[in-house]
Amino acid sequence: MVFTLIPVVLSLYYSVCDYSLLQPPAYIGGANYHELLDDPIFRKSLTNTLLYAIIALPAGLMVSLGLALLLNVKVAGQTFYRTVIFLPSLVPTVASAMLWMWLFNAKLGLINTVLDWLPFRLLIAGINAILGLVHLPQIETPIGWLTNPAWALPALAFMSFWGVGHTVVIYLAGLQDVPSELLESAEIDGAGMTRRLWHVTLPMLSPVIFFNLIMAIIGTLQVFAIPYIMTGGGPARATYFFTMYLYDNAFRYLKMGYASAMAWIQLLIILALTAIAFWSSRKWVYYQGK
Amino acid sequence: MSTLETEIQNRVSNSPTISATARPVAKRKHLERWVATIALLLICIGFALPFVWMLSTSLKTLDKTMEVPPHFWPSPMVPGNYWKVINHPKLDFPLLARNTLIIAVLSVLGTVISSSLVAYGFAKVRFKGSGVLFVMMLATMMIPFPVMMVSLFSIFRWLGDHTPVQFLGTLRPLWLPTWFGSAFNIFLLRQFFMTIPDELSEAALMDGCSEWGIFQRIILPLSKPALSVVALFTFMGAWNDFLGPLVYIQHPQQYTLALGLQTFQSQHGGTEWNLLMAASVLVILPVIILFFLAQKTFIQGIATTGLKG
Amino acid sequence: MHYIRTTILTLLGLTALAVMAFGGRSVESHKGQVVVTYWEKWTGKEAEQMQQIVNDFNQSVGQQKGIYVQYLSMSSVDQKTLVATAAGVPPDIAGLWNSQVAQFATINAVEPLDDLAAAHGITASYYKPVYWEGCRFNGHLWALISTPATIALHYNKRLMLERADSLRKAGLDPNRPPRTLDELDRYAQALDMVEKTPNGQKRIKSAGYLPMEPSWMLTYIPYWFGNKLFDEKTQKLTLTDPDIVRAFEWVKSYSVRLGKDSMTEFTNGFGQFASPQNPFLVGNVVMTLQGPWTANYVEDLKPSMNRWKFPKEKEKGMSVEERRKNYEWGAAPFPSAVPGLTDVSYASFDTLMIPRGAKHKQEAFEFIAYVNRQDVMEKLNSLHCKNSPLSQVSEQFIRNHPNPYISVFEELARSKNARGVPPMPIWPEVADELGVVAQRVYLLQAEPKEALQDAQNRLQEKYETFLERQRLRAKS
Repeated sequence: MVFTLIPVVLSLYYSVCDYSLLQPPAYIGGANYHELLDDPIFRKSLTNTLLYAIIALPAGLMVSLGLALLLNVKVAGQTFYRTVIFLPSLVPTVASAMLWMWLFNAKLGLINTVLDWLPFRLLIAGINAILGLVHLPQIETPIGWLTNPAWALPALAFMSFWGVGHTVVIYLAGLQDVPSELLESAEIDGAGMTRRLWHVTLPMLSPVIFFNLIMAIIGTLQVFAIPYIMTGGGPARATYFFTMYLYDNAFRYLKMGYASAMAWIQLLIILALTAIAFWSSRKWVYYQGK
Repeated sequence: MSTLETEIQNRVSNSPTISATARPVAKRKHLERWVATIALLLICIGFALPFVWMLSTSLKTLDKTMEVPPHFWPSPMVPGNYWKVINHPKLDFPLLARNTLIIAVLSVLGTVISSSLVAYGFAKVRFKGSGVLFVMMLATMMIPFPVMMVSLFSIFRWLGDHTPVQFLGTLRPLWLPTWFGSAFNIFLLRQFFMTIPDELSEAALMDGCSEWGIFQRIILPLSKPALSVVALFTFMGAWNDFLGPLVYIQHPQQYTLALGLQTFQSQHGGTEWNLLMAASVLVILPVIILFFLAQKTFIQGIATTGLKG
Repeated sequence: MHYIRTTILTLLGLTALAVMAFGGRSVESHKGQVVVTYWEKWTGKEAEQMQQIVNDFNQSVGQQKGIYVQYLSMSSVDQKTLVATAAGVPPDIAGLWNSQVAQFATINAVEPLDDLAAAHGITASYYKPVYWEGCRFNGHLWALISTPATIALHYNKRLMLERADSLRKAGLDPNRPPRTLDELDRYAQALDMVEKTPNGQKRIKSAGYLPMEPSWMLTYIPYWFGNKLFDEKTQKLTLTDPDIVRAFEWVKSYSVRLGKDSMTEFTNGFGQFASPQNPFLVGNVVMTLQGPWTANYVEDLKPSMNRWKFPKEKEKGMSVEERRKNYEWGAAPFPSAVPGLTDVSYASFDTLMIPRGAKHKQEAFEFIAYVNRQDVMEKLNSLHCKNSPLSQVSEQFIRNHPNPYISVFEELARSKNARGVPPMPIWPEVADELGVVAQRVYLLQAEPKEALQDAQNRLQEKYETFLERQRLRAKS
């Protein structure tokens, strides 16, 4: 841990300095923080990231939990299914980015080709009818997933579901610890699938759910690598995330002090969210051992 | 361990006996299985897509890789691409594999040992300030790596200058920090350890077991799923890590597989997609195999179900 | 099942052990030689091409002078160089970008090369002015060049002939490219192929020209409107000058004329730049702005465009004019908006710099000087499909270059209206911001004037803060 603590403390020091990496840090007090508050790009990257998190976080947690439960049912070829779900998280970043860019292409991509099939066209027509009733703008097909500022961010959020492999595996490990006789006795007592889920499985799984929640908070707020390759933050900064701006400041503009200040603001936000999670955890996380 | 055995006996005898409601239960299970299988098949098609595309591209000739509309079945099929990758003049595949393997294995050992020890401390041992320390440890995960890179690099340089051990220019910076614990894994293991009933540890204490003994004989065996997850993830992380090697490696002799993949990418057109995908498949193949085979450890769970509940 | 598992695991384990013990080819040692570390940004083919040059050096001058250049090429090399230099263990040579010269010079990140250059007889007259100027900042030399480029108009000759009727109707000649920006607009309009969909909307099938393809060039479009983006004397950005507003109004005009919806629908379907579905290669756009590397791109992604009239082998020994007939695409100076302002271009280059604190400056410069020797420079740039930065260019370079239009790029590089990046230490930040302004303008998200004003205010302030802090450092 010493390896991580020292850099963390150093970064706090850098955040109150003007530091270009190649000159020694020079103390400037809270100027970086002041500048950040006035910086519209900072605000934009922050809103983008929060928006992304709001979409990706709850949906991702539910998807991964659902998948884990599904993968826990004793069906033939269980090992195979689990491996397949885990596969996308193994694909190297470059290959992943290239694949998704191709999939999302408005004219040539698979997603829009599929959306062109009748059932989906009817679905979109239906949605458009409803949108028209409430005077909201319509969905235009084919959807320009990565080139339309309105769709770029949701597209990236949707993409994040493919990376649930890790979370699912952790859930699976946790599910093994759910005592089977509790489940059996509940079943014998007449509890259906949903009641067993709610009253036995989930509470036993809650420490793991809590872990995944915290990790998901950290993960979504730090999203960086794949979008950086896919959109570079565009179009017109629609997918410019917090960590991207941080990276650009540190290594392109050589404003490491500014970037460190950004890092600490991000840390405080994550800590705040984590604190809320911790506080709420007393109500719903059940540690069997206690 | 007699107190422990009594505990087990108590729990087993308290579980209810199977009643006549077994039959409808079996029927429901059957239906559940069918629904699950269908759902899984559909979902897997979607999830398998990235890998299938990789595989398909890796077997194509270069001009067919970016054709539109895309065909999943390569024709002509060129399995020779894989041989080309392994024998590529610019890429010493066995060397890269060796370097990456060294880093990965050492990282796994270091992480499992150190993280489980620290996690045990946080989970079971009461000591002053454990809460604060835990939060501080969590906080280290929340700072993005780019910010810490320079300081870490400087630490290694300082260590190289002031100790007899060299760091920069070796593979050590890539695995040594893992021997000091990894926040992610410490957190994960702590959560798992906390689900192990305190009564078990107390029973063992009463039987004269030391703290270390409890750790070794009770906690560790019961945490096999969690530990195997930690081992798997650490292996994967080290195997696929790009940023770490990018910054620390100074010598072409120390390249890892992740860096090696770049040999096939070009800035100005001419990326050999088929070779890049073939190389990528080769790189992730060991991890897939490991995952497939290691699943028993996730499934195994606990030997005697009576220990829980 | 259990046996299969165990066998596979044992096999894996054994392979792993074997790999760990015996993997890898042997390492050469370099006793008695000075090892110069050279970190470069290229991967794949470009990296291999530079490796050739490194090998040439090691086997010739390197042998003579006891120098061995250890070449490490990977992407994100600037990040790696920064981290290493910051920690005090920089490489001896770093391959970076021209946009970083002023930045690195100001923060003292690189060694000045004035003395070393003079000792090797390298002076201003050796280079084309725009590249020499790009290597200098505040009166000193900070870098030398590896691979330069200029950008020019590329036009699809075949498509222009196919749509000759439409061009002639507009009073334009299908056999030559446009020569003024006005003419380009008229060519673009005549070349557009737009159809009406059943519900009365416009759908673009092919566009004569789209400013945003490719969008990264738009940062420098003010050069074609006569503005330098930055006034050195006053040390102020000139983003709100009428020229620049005009430039971005021109960008906007395409979105307005083609209709934002139909244009976005059209551009959404564009293939990636480095793919066979590149918009220029498939005829989605007839004209575009690109660099000399186009010949390589086309050769890799759509070789038929380089073999229009006869097979490639016949090109051997042909004159350049004859060769050009075999190429479906052509290159010419991108026309300017200012009458009389000809041969405007943006000149970029890859640099070779020596980071501050490098251990083997003299030896490192030996390699840099080697790369800048005429024959070596021409070999490298022939391979990389770029032009030459030197004022002297051999006839064979032009004749044997993979790009038959290379003389266009050479002429542009010599022109007095070719410009590099403005000499501003915070240029990377300004460039990114201008890029976003361009995007907002062509997406019709903002009016050029407002977007530019906003950018000007913020960037000028950032610049002044930066200068202030540098001054404070100098004092202490």
